[in-house]
Amino acid sequence: MSRATAAGLVRGGAFAGAAVAFPFVVHAAWIVNIGILTLMYATLATAWNLFSGYTGYISLGQIAFFGLGAYTLAISFEHFGIGSGYNPFWALPLVGGGVALASLPVAWIALRTRHMTFAIVTLTLLFVVQQLAFNLHSLTHGSSGMMLPTPTFGIANYDRPFYLAMLALLLVALALCWVVLRSKLGLMLLAIREDEEKARGLGVRVTGAKLVAWWLSIAVTAMVGGVWAYYLTFIYPESAVDPLVMIGAVLMTFLGGRGTLWGPTIGAFVLVPAQQYLLTRLGASELYLVGYSAVFMVVLLVLPRGILPSLRDAIARARERQRTGGKRIARSQAAA
Amino acid sequence: MTRTPARRLAAALLTGAFAAAAVAASGSAAHARGSAGPIKIGISLSLSGDFSDSGKAAQRGYKLWQNVVNAHGGILGRKVQLIVQDDTSSPTQAATNYQTFITKDKVDLVFGPFSTLLTAPSASVANRYGYAFIEPAGGGPAVFDEKLHNVFFTQPAPALQSGDVFAKFLATLPKSQRPTTAAYPSLDDPFASPIADHVRGILEKRGVKTVYKTIYPSETTDMTPIIQKAASKHPQAIIGGTQNGDAYAQIKAMVQLKFSPKFVFLTNGPNDPAEFPSKVGPKNVNGIFSTGDWFPQEHSPGNAAFVKAYLAAYGGKSDTIDPTSAEAYAVGQVAQAVTKKIHSLDNKKIIATLHTGSWPTVEGVLRWNSIGEPQGSDLLVEWINGKLYPVFPANIALHKPVVPKPPWGG
Amino acid sequence: MHDVIQAVILGVLIGGVYALMASGLTLVFGIMKVINVAQGALVILAAYLSYALFTHLHIDPFLSILVVTPAMFLLGVLVQIVFVRTLRGPDASELSLLVTWALALGIEGVLSVIFKTTFRATNPSYANRSWDVLGYHVGEVRVFAFAASALLLLLLSLLLTRTRFGRSVRATVQNPTAAALLGVDERRVSTIGFGIGVSMAAAAGAVYGVLYPFNPGSHYDLISRLLSIVVLGGLGSLGGAVVAALLMGVTEAVVAVEISPTWAAFSFFVVLLAVLLVRPQGIFGLRERTL
Repeated sequence: MSRATAAGLVRGGAFAGAAVAFPFVVHAAWIVNIGILTLMYATLATAWNLFSGYTGYISLGQIAFFGLGAYTLAISFEHFGIGSGYNPFWALPLVGGGVALASLPVAWIALRTRHMTFAIVTLTLLFVVQQLAFNLHSLTHGSSGMMLPTPTFGIANYDRPFYLAMLALLLVALALCWVVLRSKLGLMLLAIREDEEKARGLGVRVTGAKLVAWWLSIAVTAMVGGVWAYYLTFIYPESAVDPLVMIGAVLMTFLGGRGTLWGPTIGAFVLVPAQQYLLTRLGASELYLVGYSAVFMVVLLVLPRGILPSLRDAIARARERQRTGGKRIARSQAAA
Repeated sequence: MTRTPARRLAAALLTGAFAAAAVAASGSAAHARGSAGPIKIGISLSLSGDFSDSGKAAQRGYKLWQNVVNAHGGILGRKVQLIVQDDTSSPTQAATNYQTFITKDKVDLVFGPFSTLLTAPSASVANRYGYAFIEPAGGGPAVFDEKLHNVFFTQPAPALQSGDVFAKFLATLPKSQRPTTAAYPSLDDPFASPIADHVRGILEKRGVKTVYKTIYPSETTDMTPIIQKAASKHPQAIIGGTQNGDAYAQIKAMVQLKFSPKFVFLTNGPNDPAEFPSKVGPKNVNGIFSTGDWFPQEHSPGNAAFVKAYLAAYGGKSDTIDPTSAEAYAVGQVAQAVTKKIHSLDNKKIIATLHTGSWPTVEGVLRWNSIGEPQGSDLLVEWINGKLYPVFPANIALHKPVVPKPPWGG
Repeated sequence: MHDVIQAVILGVLIGGVYALMASGLTLVFGIMKVINVAQGALVILAAYLSYALFTHLHIDPFLSILVVTPAMFLLGVLVQIVFVRTLRGPDASELSLLVTWALALGIEGVLSVIFKTTFRATNPSYANRSWDVLGYHVGEVRVFAFAASALLLLLLSLLLTRTRFGRSVRATVQNPTAAALLGVDERRVSTIGFGIGVSMAAAAGAVYGVLYPFNPGSHYDLISRLLSIVVLGGLGSLGGAVVAALLMGVTEAVVAVEISPTWAAFSFFVVLLAVLLVRPQGIFGLRERTL
């Protein structure tokens, strides 16, 4: 294993260690609650990045799979009786796999379209899933929503299992990104992002590569939806498929740095606590939507590459200056 | 190459975030629940987002109650302090808010948010910590299906049964005047179609034939095809589960199609005394029935004083008072009465006490069963001579009902 | 059968209005390869403007088109210069998707603050009147709306085919590099093109408020339909947008009557996915690599 990889694993391990220890050290339920929200957005953002960041195809339908995951878990409770307590957590991989499998026909249609059409088709998916949630009354109770049984975790550490479940999903998502980047699949995705036609011409299985990335992304997203549904114990179509949640995750990815490993997570760790803090301070923020929109605009227009890449560039430039003692150097020597 | 320093920094920052949060958590000292000092009540309200209009109406009602109760010495001799947090109409945020109120702010009591959709997850949170959940606007099945013992819904009847009063009214008419056929066009909304369905259940058992029923999605902007289909079956009554927008559209479609049945009952829309005439045309309102949980001129406990105080504080006319404000005010009244009765803020005792006896509020005198369902009946209202009146049950009627519906004015 | 024909009539009438909204969307894409997700929000903004003019100054909604359209043309130009033009690089098209979405949210937020979330509808005296034609009921307002839309679409097509500006636009759509080489000012075409796209939305919005009740959140449903229409018709194809809009209107109305209203909107998405299965570029779309 290369030194960089070993160092990477150590960093990942330190982060995971601190994250796992957190709910055992901190007992204030409200802080663990905010931790759950932060981890949820971090996972959603990382999963979105796994497909959209690496292939360059902006998917606007991710939240549809979040909703599908939520409803799949709720329906499993009601129609298949998967028990209570910790069982639903073990059922999550089935939820993720099931949703990924169910998305196959749509994926096949969508992944043959090109960038802009793809974005719009995925956006359409969002409304399709919401409509299905409304219309399939016997399965989903339509607009009245579905209830999930309340687990009987002790009140002292009620939120902890949910926190650990979300954290597990985040670590899985990060691990997937890390592995994909280092594998042949990662090379194929980057080739697709650079120039899809050329990649296809070189023999890259373009649709196949996109499909694998797509599946991984939505499997994780669906599992996050399942944990969220179990945590809230009540879901309905508009809350399970909420475009604003997706916009938030996309915003965090852009803020942190699209196409990077830690970027989306950083974006989430910055924005979620900030949002909670602002809600407390600004009270009746009628301007909530306007504020959201403004932050989004600023990030997209001013800092389109996000924190991490900009940070990276700043560090690179600082190193340059160090190395050359302030003298200008040729462009070819500038760090990538 | 240069990725590494950035990654190192990133990982360090993230790891540090947990440490920082842990330190911050230990730093926030537990606020002892002082026996002096104000009584803190936590309320999550939709001050932005889809429910913001009603959320703000609830806020006005809660604030009004707070001012009134503090002017009379507060609760148990202590001032009442409301801690309100915006939930942006999101259930996730509402649940987070109540979690924060209870475990961070250590409030004494919590009051409910707006909408069944936000009440259901919030009541669950409150229940976990043993708090009573007196709530103004969560009357749908989702709340009662949770079978929680800490829930108390401050309206006369559960939402599902709010249309039953129309069926009861029809039963009081002489047989020749009752409708024999009915159509049920309803909105796909937890507070629309289930209510109409409930009425249909009652009427079908009595032999009223259902000639047409349908549920349309909330984005349906054109009601003409649906009303046309219904009209083609010649029902004597149109009984619709509606919200405001589609109710207006249904009436407009009926007028356009020149279809005027003997009875029109819509669960929402015509119950808005201020907006309805301008939305469907003032000449078209007469004879239309609707239902409501509160009416400004109602003779319920404390109502006259409530309306007077509301107008003094917020201006406007009594017709423009959103019933949500009255519902919120009722929550305060209940809390005030029960804490006075048991001389304590203990939530367990509050829950036990509220399950017995009846409690006077501006929404009427309320009683609940073990899972929080109120055991009364909503009001039937009707437009007569261009104004809206409660017409049934007789003890709260301010005008005799008019049947059948006169033809459209155009 | 009578019900079906009635539904078709209704579908065509409303399809015309959607065609007007969608034309602006597809035109902007054709010129700049930018999807203006805020098109729905701009329609609603225009509806509110028209509603305000009617409620406070008693200006007829169809007349208000003359006021609202130029005003929103200027707004469109401003938006393009400030937000859209600054996007550069290979990601510009996709970033524009997100930027215009943010814009839509901003518009929704501002409208919520000013007008609250209650549903509004512009109610002129003739709003409920209808004609009986051969036993079919035809709403007056819908006919006026359709006529206005058809007229504006005709004007748009004349603009594109008979004027020099129109030729610049078509040249830019077909081959931006060649057009630039031939002296077409790409920036001017983009800016004015965007403004025109928004004007189409504005005109449609003015009449939308008479047809349907609306609130700030109504733009979500609108934009999902408009996006489906332009993709079905083929991104960038004006004729495609018109055909797709009419198809959508009729499909929805017929499904609402014959099957059930709850599946009406859904049926259109089914049609869309089915067409994309066979022709990923839409009905009249060009099989382009960068679409």
